[in-house]
Amino acid sequence: MNTIVQIAFRNLLQHRRRSLLLGGAVAMVTLLLVMLSALLNGMQATMLRNGTTLSTGHVNVAGFYKITAGTAAPLVTKYEALLQAVKKQTPGLDYVVTRGRGFGKIVSEESSLNSVLTGLDIVHEAGFKEVVQLAHGNLDELARPRTALIFEKQAERLHVKVGDNVTVSSQTFRGVNNTVDVRIVAIGRDLGMLSSFNCFVHHDAIRDLYELDSSTTGAIQVYLKDAEKAAEVAAKLRTDIEKTGLRVMEPQPQPFWRKFDTVKREDWTGQKIDVTTWIDEMAFMRYTLNTLSALIFVLVTVLLVIIVIGVMNTLWMAIRERTREIGALRAIGMQRGRVLWMFVTEVALLALAATATGSLLATGLCLGLNAAKIVVPKAFQMFLMSETLWLVADVPTVARSLAIIAVVTTLGSLLPAWRASRLQPVKAMQTAS
Amino acid sequence: MTTAFAQTETPIVKLVGVDKDYHLGSVIVPALRDVSLSIAAGEFTVIAGPSGSGKTTLLNLIGCVDVATRGDVVIDGADTRQLKEKALTDLRLRSLGFIFQSFNLVGVLDAFDNVEFPLLLQGKLNKVERRDRVMGLLQQVGIEQYAHHRPGELSGGQRQRVAIARALVTQPRIVLADEPTANLDSKTGTAILELMQELNRRGTTFLFSTHDPRVVSRAGRVIRLVDGQIADLNASAEDVAALAAGAH
Ligand SMILES: Nc1ncnc2c1ncn2[C@@H]1O[C@H](COP(=O)(O)OP(=O)(O)O)[C@@H](O)[C@H]1O
Ligand SMILES: [Mg+2]
Repeated sequence: MNTIVQIAFRNLLQHRRRSLLLGGAVAMVTLLLVMLSALLNGMQATMLRNGTTLSTGHVNVAGFYKITAGTAAPLVTKYEALLQAVKKQTPGLDYVVTRGRGFGKIVSEESSLNSVLTGLDIVHEAGFKEVVQLAHGNLDELARPRTALIFEKQAERLHVKVGDNVTVSSQTFRGVNNTVDVRIVAIGRDLGMLSSFNCFVHHDAIRDLYELDSSTTGAIQVYLKDAEKAAEVAAKLRTDIEKTGLRVMEPQPQPFWRKFDTVKREDWTGQKIDVTTWIDEMAFMRYTLNTLSALIFVLVTVLLVIIVIGVMNTLWMAIRERTREIGALRAIGMQRGRVLWMFVTEVALLALAATATGSLLATGLCLGLNAAKIVVPKAFQMFLMSETLWLVADVPTVARSLAIIAVVTTLGSLLPAWRASRLQPVKAMQTAS
Repeated sequence: MTTAFAQTETPIVKLVGVDKDYHLGSVIVPALRDVSLSIAAGEFTVIAGPSGSGKTTLLNLIGCVDVATRGDVVIDGADTRQLKEKALTDLRLRSLGFIFQSFNLVGVLDAFDNVEFPLLLQGKLNKVERRDRVMGLLQQVGIEQYAHHRPGELSGGQRQRVAIARALVTQPRIVLADEPTANLDSKTGTAILELMQELNRRGTTFLFSTHDPRVVSRAGRVIRLVDGQIADLNASAEDVAALAAGAH
């Protein structure tokens, strides 16, 4: 009934201060939820884009080679046939790269640090140039043998610049120490967690370091047109590869470096293929995101409890003031349900207006902050996986936040509204004015 | 005259052997005892009695906002003790009109919207029909020029006129009013009473309570309540005069 909405609306206007106070609080909580969700989205988007370009494909066809039962090397031997099979069998394929996997010490004249070593063939790396912003040097140079790309913070620690040589040292899978010298051809801008433990070298440098031949690689990284399809594609590739006669490991939602210990303890030898998705490989980053969303959930829940208490208090007050009016309406034949509806409508209107305002403000703020390219403190860059703040307040996020807050706020009105609907109409007949 | 006419019809209100007890903790307060009465269409009846005699209690029972402890209360043919809350509310909407001592209008609606409200609850008339009905009534109670004023912008007398229009708008079988003039000064109170008398002459049945002897003197019929019991079902003019004298 239109008039009920009108009564609700006008009562909100009548008590402007009260409405503004409560509405303002609801708007602020909405703003907070949208902003935090946008931050989480931004991190997730960065993680998907940067993470899948730098350290894992959407689907990885990798595995372990065991010379003896007690060892485990992250290698794919005789990869060429497998690579061709993967290219042919992957639905929705964008592109495929091969990466060498290693871990070692980078030594400069003045200093050293430990890092994950990734070998790549830059000519095939379609996405790499878009993700890695260079501070110095030239990425194309990475096509030459014995070259390396490190990141700003690493360069700082090593006191090196483009053109300098560093020595990379590691233990081969046979247990012998080995070194190769590489020339730094590019220094990339930091990308948080992804860049602090990782550096890139020419694929052959990895092979030289670990004394591998050219038919061996670390991983075949598959990039799909739609990253969401990764699990599906992984499952398909797993069976396809098994059919070629290769041994395939049981699916384990863990990054490859977490599997060394288990694989070492297993008593098989030779080659086994492991097919994983980016979600498996970035389990740790997902843990970070999940922790953050849990924190947001707790914070917003606490704030919503406060909002609900505020709604209830405000509504009790309104109902107390309008007891005789309610009694009169009940006496002249307004059903209980409609009285309940009247008060729920009042809060729902306020909630809608407030959440809409909060959402608009938050969306504007997100756009503004993105445009301002705000550089976040170093400690946060680690988690954001990017130098600048990147907020994604897309329609589903905003709509979801708005809906959650609006619905919870409105639910807060149910108990007082129900009590109002139970008021005796006799109250109106009694004098007390 | 009214009474003779009334007895030929089925009464709108019929109470037989009605008791009403209130419970104050473990104490039972008998507010009405063995009340029997009937009211027919067209009457202009006053329930008179001192404070605490049970007038409000009686009107609450007739107004279907409370139920009797014992006895039958039949309103417009319906035995109210058999009815659930929802049906009672519906009966109030269909058959009864209420005028309250303190007006009790919806503060944020203007006079027009307040009067229209019961029609919206009924949902029977269309927009044009509602408008005609409401404006016609506002005219009858003499405040059509205040149709778009909110209660806060009206005097007590004007508000009570809005309340009367609201009570009449559904064309109820009977209009109930608990001390409708108690919150008005005597001049305004008199004007409101005259308005109600005028509306009664045009066919509306009124039943209201008062403890003001001057109001009693305008009634077509006076039911006297004393200590929750009917003292007189149709007090004479002399009784009324005596009452008035006693009060001064
Ligand atoms: N809700 C109630 N609880 C207990 N006693 C009540 C209540 N309402 C009225 N009474 C008592 O019932 C009697 C009749 O009251 P009421 O109907 O209000 O009389 P009147 O309207 O004539 O002043 C009084 O004794 C009053 O104290
Ligand atoms: Mg009373």
